[in-house]
Amino acid sequence: MEKTIIINIGNTIIHIEESAYELLKAYLNEVKQYFANHADDLEIVTDIENRIAELLTEQLEEQKKQVVDSANVNSVIAQMGKVQDFDTTEPGEEEPVISNAYQQQYAEKKLYRDMDDRVVAGVCAGIAHYVNADPKWIRVATVLTVFLGGSGILVYALLWIIMPKAKSRIERMEMKGEPANLQGFQKNLDEELLAVKERLGEVNKHAQPIFARLGIFISEFFEWLGRFISGTGKVIFKVIAGCIVVFGVLFLLTLIISAAAFQGFWDASIYEYFPFSIINEGNRGVILFGAFIVCFVPVLALVLFSIRVAFNKQAINKTLSFALLIIWLAGVAVTGYQAAKISSEFKQHAELTQTVDLKSFPAYTINIDKSKYFSKEDSVAYHIDANNRHQIVVDDFEDGPFVSPNHIRINIEKSETSVTRLTQKYESQGKTFQSALQNAQNISYTYTLKDAELIFSPRFQLRKGSIWRNQEVRLTLEVPVGTKLILKEDSYRYVNNYWTWDCKNAENDHNDFTVWIMTEDGLKCVAQLKEEAIKKQQLEQELSNLELMHKDKPTDTVFQDSVSNRIREVKEELGIKPE
Amino acid sequence: MIAENTQTQMRKGILEYCVLSIISRGEIYASDIIAELRAAKLLVVEGTLYPLLTRLKNNGLLSYNWVESTSGPPRKYYTLTEDGRGILSQLDQTWQELAYAVGISQKGANS
Repeated sequence: MEKTIIINIGNTIIHIEESAYELLKAYLNEVKQYFANHADDLEIVTDIENRIAELLTEQLEEQKKQVVDSANVNSVIAQMGKVQDFDTTEPGEEEPVISNAYQQQYAEKKLYRDMDDRVVAGVCAGIAHYVNADPKWIRVATVLTVFLGGSGILVYALLWIIMPKAKSRIERMEMKGEPANLQGFQKNLDEELLAVKERLGEVNKHAQPIFARLGIFISEFFEWLGRFISGTGKVIFKVIAGCIVVFGVLFLLTLIISAAAFQGFWDASIYEYFPFSIINEGNRGVILFGAFIVCFVPVLALVLFSIRVAFNKQAINKTLSFALLIIWLAGVAVTGYQAAKISSEFKQHAELTQTVDLKSFPAYTINIDKSKYFSKEDSVAYHIDANNRHQIVVDDFEDGPFVSPNHIRINIEKSETSVTRLTQKYESQGKTFQSALQNAQNISYTYTLKDAELIFSPRFQLRKGSIWRNQEVRLTLEVPVGTKLILKEDSYRYVNNYWTWDCKNAENDHNDFTVWIMTEDGLKCVAQLKEEAIKKQQLEQELSNLELMHKDKPTDTVFQDSVSNRIREVKEELGIKPE
Repeated sequence: MIAENTQTQMRKGILEYCVLSIISRGEIYASDIIAELRAAKLLVVEGTLYPLLTRLKNNGLLSYNWVESTSGPPRKYYTLTEDGRGILSQLDQTWQELAYAVGISQKGANS
């Protein structure tokens, strides 16, 4: 299919294909220019146009066609002859200057950017036409110069600005220096050089509307960038989409497998671990299903979308995607409802207290049982002999993501009586007070008192089958005044109401324990007390010296003032009220 | 170059003479003139003829009539004017002289 144009040539209406029209127009322009200086140019051109019309009509009749194509035009031009072949030089007349100039100009090549055979802006192809080379070699050379310090890019941009693009047919012909127009025209080397010089002159002429050229350059550059992004960029997007598809499918498989695992296909013991221990046994199936849908559907949607991007193919239809949306919303609703239901089970608070009076000792050692707690089943599974104390698995005390918050907290307080007392407070939440109390009773906690050594287990456990409802264990140790406490290093982090690390620093020893004593003002670090005592002694010594100096009453009033100032400071530090 | 130039000059002069001779035989259409010239191997392309005809016409050697064509618009048919006939007879004479001159030049006066 080709667009046709209706032309009126020599008073004849002719349908002509666009490409043929271009050709014919170019030819007639040549003819007009050729005869422009001729006295009877109008008549001659009219004659020629009439004749062309006649020839075209004849051809159409002969070939039983309705539309003139390029072949017709070419044969007519061949018959009429190219302008170079018109030899009308009149005897005795000067040769028409314009025809000569035109002929020369026409036969000569011009430097244009070839827009038909371009990679970026057609610069390389244009140069290739000009020097009669294969464009690919020019391109290879250009790319090589890019590697040689990148100067090629600059030169390319410059040529992009300077070289006009070949727009019209004539310009394209000039660019290629159509061999047909070189008939009978042989340039020697001198002429060739002359032409090059002229070309350089023309480059200067081109430089004049440099701003206009810059505008063209910029708009073309962005046009090229756009083409690059929509071409190469598309590929990158597709690769990314492909990756998403692969990883998304893997993720979906993982989800299915883990859903199956939670469903108890392999191991139901996972519900003993936090945060799964929050969920009530009866609701597990529902919550699992809801959570599965909430996670699964968006990933599935992402994968489907990526498939569409990567393969340009609609993976599912609208109805199905709408159904997916509904399913997802349902999943969100179910999960939300269950979450609300579970959180309602934290409404009530209950405490359970158990008090034990301990045997009196002048000093207690507080230690933490580092061995990890194992249930009987686990001990069997891990091949640990629970009765063999030489074989213990050490708890690192560090909380991973799936460890229930089950650390104990120890408060050490002054006893009002002379009895050492340990209070264990079990706390829990629940939907009702009763269920909260029940949950608190599900806490199992152990400590041992062996002579004067108190060994606490760092974590409490929940009895099997019970659910996590923010259970806590708080221990309160009431110690009579004057009793010493030796805190082992492991216990530091569990002591809630004293900052034990300061004492460790004060001791300066590399002991794995610190010694404390209960005073009327609460528990004190023995090392810190010693330090304070030394400091107090020093201050008292200084004070007595200063007071001696003050008594001597030196004549120097400045010195007198500084001494009394210092006395005030020292007294302040010692806690002595100024008179 | 010199040979080429001379050839061109010779062709040009003879072309005009031949065109006048062809037209002198009767009213004729431009493309028919071309056909005859082509048969005589004097001319290759039609484009050359139109400027020539126009010039001869403007010099009063030719005149033309518009003749209706069976297909398409009317055509120009050329005829010789009286002046044209006069010039042609002069040219005929000149041609005789030239032919003689060439013959003599080539073969020598005595042969």
